[in-house]
Order: sequence, then C-alpha cells, then structure tokens
Amino acid sequence: MIALFVTFFSAAVLLFLGLNKRESSYSLFAALALFVSAGLSWACSANLVSFHGLESWVPANMMQFGKEQHLFAALLAFIVGFILLMFRKNEVIGNDQLGLMMFSLCGAYMMVSYQHLVMLFLGIEVLSIPLFVLAGANKSNLASNEASLKYFLMGAFSTGIFLLGTAFIYGGTGSLELEMMGIKPSFMHAMQGMPLPVLINAGIVLMSVGLLFKVAAAPFHFWAPDVYEGSPNRTTLYMATVVKIAAFVAFYRFLSTFGGIADAWKGWMSVLGAITILWGNLAALNQASVKRTLAFSSIAHAGYLVMFLLMADGTNTWILWFYGLAYAMASLLVFSIANQVSFQGERGFAAFDGLSKKSPVAAIALAVGVLSMAGIPVSAGFNAKFYLFSFAWQHMPWLVGVGLLGSAISVGYYFKFFKHAFMNQPSNDNPVVDRGWLMLLGGLILLLGALPWAVLNVIY
Amino acid sequence: MSILSVFNQVEISHYIYLSTVLFSIGLFGVLFRRNAIILLMCIELMLNAVNLLFTAFSSYMGDADGQIFVFFIMVVAAAEAAVGLAILVLVYRNTRKTDVSFLDQLKG
Repeated sequence: MIALFVTFFSAAVLLFLGLNKRESSYSLFAALALFVSAGLSWACSANLVSFHGLESWVPANMMQFGKEQHLFAALLAFIVGFILLMFRKNEVIGNDQLGLMMFSLCGAYMMVSYQHLVMLFLGIEVLSIPLFVLAGANKSNLASNEASLKYFLMGAFSTGIFLLGTAFIYGGTGSLELEMMGIKPSFMHAMQGMPLPVLINAGIVLMSVGLLFKVAAAPFHFWAPDVYEGSPNRTTLYMATVVKIAAFVAFYRFLSTFGGIADAWKGWMSVLGAITILWGNLAALNQASVKRTLAFSSIAHAGYLVMFLLMADGTNTWILWFYGLAYAMASLLVFSIANQVSFQGERGFAAFDGLSKKSPVAAIALAVGVLSMAGIPVSAGFNAKFYLFSFAWQHMPWLVGVGLLGSAISVGYYFKFFKHAFMNQPSNDNPVVDRGWLMLLGGLILLLGALPWAVLNVIY
Repeated sequence: MSILSVFNQVEISHYIYLSTVLFSIGLFGVLFRRNAIILLMCIELMLNAVNLLFTAFSSYMGDADGQIFVFFIMVVAAAEAAVGLAILVLVYRNTRKTDVSFLDQLKG
C-alpha cells in the first residue's frame, strides 16, 4: 500500500514539475521515488515498519497487502526505477512520459494485491491505458504509431473478453470477491464431485483468455513482436518485464482461488504452455532484428511461467518472484546495452559488432545478461529455471521436458549476441555509457546465481 | 403491474443469450472489419453487452456489486475511447487513412 501512495504522489508531483525546465533531473527524481517505494515496501514485508493507518483507508475486501504483495510491489518498483535510471542519458524524455510510466506502475500494484475483481479490472486498465500512449511516444515514427494502435486494439479487445468472463463468474458464484467466490454453494457442490456450472467454467476460460493476451502466451501472442519492436526501447522493456510479472501474479491469484476444484483447465493450459515455449523459441531463431528476437524470447519466458500457473495453490509464489527478478535484471542489461549500441537506427545484430573491443565491461555485462536469459549455470536465470522446473516436475514431467528442449533451442539465438559482440570487428564507434550500473547489474545476476539462498533469506 | 416486475418475468437465461449474441457481434466486428473507427465501435458493443449482463445478474441476485462494476466499466471505456481516438488521430496525420491495413509496417 505504501508503495502505491509514494509512487502515485511522486508521479503527480512530477507532472507539476513540468513548470521547471531542468529536464534531465526528472528521471533521477522519479527513480529515487521508485527506489524509496521499493525500500519501504520491502521494509513492510519484513515487518520493520508498518503503515496501518494508511492501509485502513482502503477496505480489506478490495485490496490487501500481505508479505508477498509487498515483496512483489518492491520488485516492480525496483525494476521501473532501474529502467528510468539506465535509460536517462540516451534520450531525455519529458515529465509527462515519466509520470505516465509511474501511473501505469500503480496499476501493476493493484494487480498484485487485488481481493475484488473490480480492482483487478481497474488494475489492468490503469496499467494498460498509459502504455497505449507510451507505445506511441515517437509521434512521427510510423512504426511507433502502428505499435500503439495495435496494442490499443488488442488491449481493448482482450479487456472485453476478460470482462465477459468476469460477468459469467459473477453470475455463477454470486460474488466478485476472491474470498467469497471460494465458499459459495455452487462451489461447495463442485467440491463434492458434481460438475461445475457451465457459467463458472465459461467464466474461468474467458478470464484466462483475457489474461493470456496480457502475458502474450500462445496462441494470443501475435501482437507482441510487432508492438515490442515498434515501441520506444524503454516502453518495450517495461512491457516485457513489469506488465508480464504483474499479469502473472494476477493470473496466479485468480487461478489459486479456483485451484482445487477446477482441474479441467489444467489440461489445455499445459498444452498452451508447451506451444508457447516451442513457438517463442523457434520463431526467435530466424529473426534479424534484435528487439524482435528479444520479444520472442519474452514470449518463450511467458511459456515457462505458464508452467508455474499450473502449480497454483497459493504457497509457492517465491518461485515467480525469483524468476521475475532474474528475468527482469537480465532484460535490463541486454536492453540497455542494445539501446545504446543501436542508437543510430541499426535494428539488426550488426549493432553489437566488436563490442568487446569498444568496451570490454559492456561486453562482459552483455554476456552475463544473455547467459542468465538462456539459463546457463552460475547466473540468476539458471537458478530461477532450476527451481521452476524442479517444482513443476512433480506435477507434469512432460511439460518440463518441453521446457528443457525450449531452453536448448534458445541457446541458438542467444549465441548470436556472443558472435557479434566478441568475434566481429567494430563497425561504428557509438560509446557505451553507464558502465557502473551495467557492472552492478551484472554483479547482482552473478551473486543471485552463486548464492541464491543467501540473498533470498535476507530479502524474502 | 409495474415495469420492474415485467422485467423480472423475463428469465435470466434470456439475458445471458442476448448479451452473448451482442458480444459475439462485437467480437466478429473486431475480427473482420478493417476501419479503425468501426473497430472502436465494436469494442464498445462488446463492453456494453457485458454491462447488460452485469446489470441483469445484479438485479436478479439483489446484489449491488454488479451495478457498481458497470459504472467502473463505463468510466474505463470512456478513458479508453479517448486514448484510442487520440492514437487514431496521430495515425491519420501520418498516413491519411483510418484503415487498419496500414498495420503491416512491422514484419519479421
């Protein structure tokens, strides 16, 4: 809750700062506010501080911040803070865009902490509507326009499907509150082996489709590569990390309400997961553009996380938290380096040519990030995948097999980064800045890879 | 007999069928029409079909939550339409059309 207040009010302050002309300091202010939100949320999760007075403003049947919700809020604020920090030197953006990104983050907080489907709906919309604008932030660029319109149409369309599902569930269970939905009579007789009413089943399927659109899982992923490629880099990174994590948490909490009683969806969901993993990885293999490759790679990561949804019972959220952290840090590294080297509009891998000669530090940081995305040992990504797969093994071993196959395929396109960064000669002399932050992120990834439990015990 | 009681004589299943049909009309419109403004209208149709369903359920169950949800949907739909039309104006300035067939610049 405290993260929501701090982020919202600093975003509002930021909008008024537009009167002042010193634009380069806005990003720093925003990043600082986000790190404060992250720190305070973490302190709340560890019971170091508490803001009960503030939290009593919002009814407990609407939003609830327990330990896990605080930790997810801290993770999301931390990621966005880093995004603003790492991208601040390449292109200075106005306070309006920074403000929109922070308001969008408020929607993400609502999605991780909702108790009532109204709050889930509002969270999704508060997250999405600023993003429609941010995707089209390069106003004169046709690709950016297209990304914005496509994202808008897909977002509004999936919202419609999601809402029809909500209405069916409301009709079937008679309530919109997560806790109430689980104890309604129709559910009680479903527990005793009678079939679930058609309305509730249809509602679960439709809501899942709406959320699968948001996380870009196959077969509802077709918009993602275009939107990711056309949007400005900062927005793409935001969509690939924050939107995905928030949507998965929301999805997880929704499914764990229905967990024990609706096994029917597990079958088709696992098939969708397998298709997503294979499609994402195979399609990424023959992409020429860096951002498109990363977009398909993020689709494949959504596929791995579908595996996690199948274990939805409300007890193992730390896997999602750790996976989100590992994936977000690797994405931050790779995207920010790609953003700097492809500064002059080079979209292909040639932008990385000779990075190791221009800046060894950046090349090593890139290597760490890419290895973590691919899940090679002694990186955070390996541990994240290891925990995920070893838990999923007990539930559906065949899907883990598909996941391992997908990881093996993924090495094929991650290797392109190495080839261009370490083996080719430099073709341009764009400088790489912010080496300190790159080293910090790379070091964190290695630390999480080498000593995951030491870090998890401190934080979680 | 008051008007309200006439409404209550209609079975809830009829409302479900009606709003599902309305929703499907909107859905197929989004899938098959090419003009972005018509797409926006079809999306509105989908949302309003959901509004109808929420109101019907709410009225039959005597529970106010559904009706309040409808207000939220209306507000969000208005916000979404505002942003959507703004994006459309942006696209129109650059391409001079409102046809979604221009959405093929980005290909792998």
